[in-house]
Amino acid sequence: MIYVIDHQDSFTWNVVHQFRKFDKVYCSNYFNVDYKILNSSETIVLSPGPGAPKDYPQTSKIYKNFKGKKKIIGICLGYQQILYNEKGKIIQQKNIYHGYQSKVKVTNKSKIFKKNKTFKVGRYHSLKLREPFNSNSLSITMRCSKTNIPMAIEDTKNKIYGFQFHPESFLTENGDFIIKKILSN
Amino acid sequence: MESLYQSDEPLIIYKVENGYNIYTHFSKKIILTNRNINKFFKSFNKKKYNKETDLMIGFFGYDLLCNLIDLKTVNQKKSSFYKGIFYKPETIIKIRDNIKIVSKLKHKKLKISFQKTQVSSPFKMNIKFPKYQKIFDYFSRKIRQGETYQIKICTKYRNKSKINPINFFWKLMKVNASPEAFMIRDKDYSIVSCSPETLINKKGSNIFTKPIAGTLKKNNGLDKKKALKFFKNNIKETKEHNMIVDMERSDLSKICKPGTVKIFKKKFVEEYKHLYHYVTLVKGQLINKIDLKDIVKSMMPGGSVIGCPKIRTLELLNNQENEDRNIYTGSFGFIKYNKDMRFNIIIRSILNYKNFSEISAASGVVLDSTAKKEFNENYIKAKSLLELYK
Repeated sequence: MIYVIDHQDSFTWNVVHQFRKFDKVYCSNYFNVDYKILNSSETIVLSPGPGAPKDYPQTSKIYKNFKGKKKIIGICLGYQQILYNEKGKIIQQKNIYHGYQSKVKVTNKSKIFKKNKTFKVGRYHSLKLREPFNSNSLSITMRCSKTNIPMAIEDTKNKIYGFQFHPESFLTENGDFIIKKILSN
Repeated sequence: MESLYQSDEPLIIYKVENGYNIYTHFSKKIILTNRNINKFFKSFNKKKYNKETDLMIGFFGYDLLCNLIDLKTVNQKKSSFYKGIFYKPETIIKIRDNIKIVSKLKHKKLKISFQKTQVSSPFKMNIKFPKYQKIFDYFSRKIRQGETYQIKICTKYRNKSKINPINFFWKLMKVNASPEAFMIRDKDYSIVSCSPETLINKKGSNIFTKPIAGTLKKNNGLDKKKALKFFKNNIKETKEHNMIVDMERSDLSKICKPGTVKIFKKKFVEEYKHLYHYVTLVKGQLINKIDLKDIVKSMMPGGSVIGCPKIRTLELLNNQENEDRNIYTGSFGFIKYNKDMRFNIIIRSILNYKNFSEISAASGVVLDSTAKKEFNENYIKAKSLLELYK
């Protein structure tokens, strides 16, 4: 079972339907989490959403509670929430990407995807990770081929994964493949 | 027909694919409130569809739709206009190449009462440019902070007037017979609209929505092919369109079976008399036995005229606006007794009530635009309606 925590986004149900291709999915609002179902889920997905990670202390708490105990996948805001809880700084960027299709490239840090493989992906984000970002466990595993902005993270030991882009967007090619890989890892 | 037009009989005209339907001889009228709307949706569970007139036709206002998804509009000066009204027609007159009447009623005597259009004050805008600029800057900051990805500012034109809605409607259809145009004439109010956008079309378990994001005015050098090229090469139009498509996919996914929501026709151009629209057709298959209310809650208010993500963007709008939107960005359409339905998004519309006319228009705040440009865009959108009063 996969538990999707919805940060009241207008893309969340695309995420739910994408994950339903691979497993049972339960979805609820971030302020209305059913802990019984959450406890019995193997995977937690932190949805995209408006605002910044600091606006969602409930989700940060869940992340800290379940880190290392369950697989955690973050998308867009969810990805930023993971980084924020791992001492990353989430900042505004000069150019804003809402509804853009960009190419991302797999870095040599990925243990799941082939190095230098590129994907065309859909982006909706005002904020990004400030670099340099140093972490013992998290690696930046994809970057925008043009701007080099971090686009994906992996921590295979704790089974934590995140995407700044939207694998569920119609702008993302091979989105299902990316999710399938992460879920089977 | 002429005598029906000139009577005081309430009637509704709705554009259909190859003509118009006129709905009249209403045997029931339900005025919707936050309290009775659940009952209204539930009432369809008991109904049986036997004939074409077995449907309720009318509109949901913006405030009612916000309330359905638990969003409050506390800062708005409340207007006394209805939050929503639905009618049960006993007669449908079909205007195609010829006219066909579906009715079980005998010929009814009509009271003639011709209403002339009278304008007694010029149009005034509720938001002047400096105020607009302020809101624009505020929302631009919110976009930078990631609070919203796109948001639309609504401005309103009002004047003191009485109108002949039927006259207005046919005049409007001559210049812009948009696919979701409609008119309501009741005893104490009227609505005239050339809405272009289908929000819900549901037949059986199939549902589709056809969001518009991207409008181009026609000129001599332009044809459909060139219009498509323009949209494809225009980054601003393309990214706005992408966002709306993903949002509508998500809204449909909430009420459809997993794996059934598909983009049926991606990014194509529809041609109208004066403009081109950039549209995408998204389809899905509804979950078995889904409630009408859940369909309405998931799809309304229509995302393309609000912004994205819907909930947070609506909160920002509702905090900023201090006037009731009334019908604007609500939905007009019908629900048949077999639960098939068709609804549009109410934009490009005139509401006439208590001797006042109001016309609303909205355009988007995106970072690569300017307040001046979008402010003018609102005027362009309202122009063909404002001109009816001349």
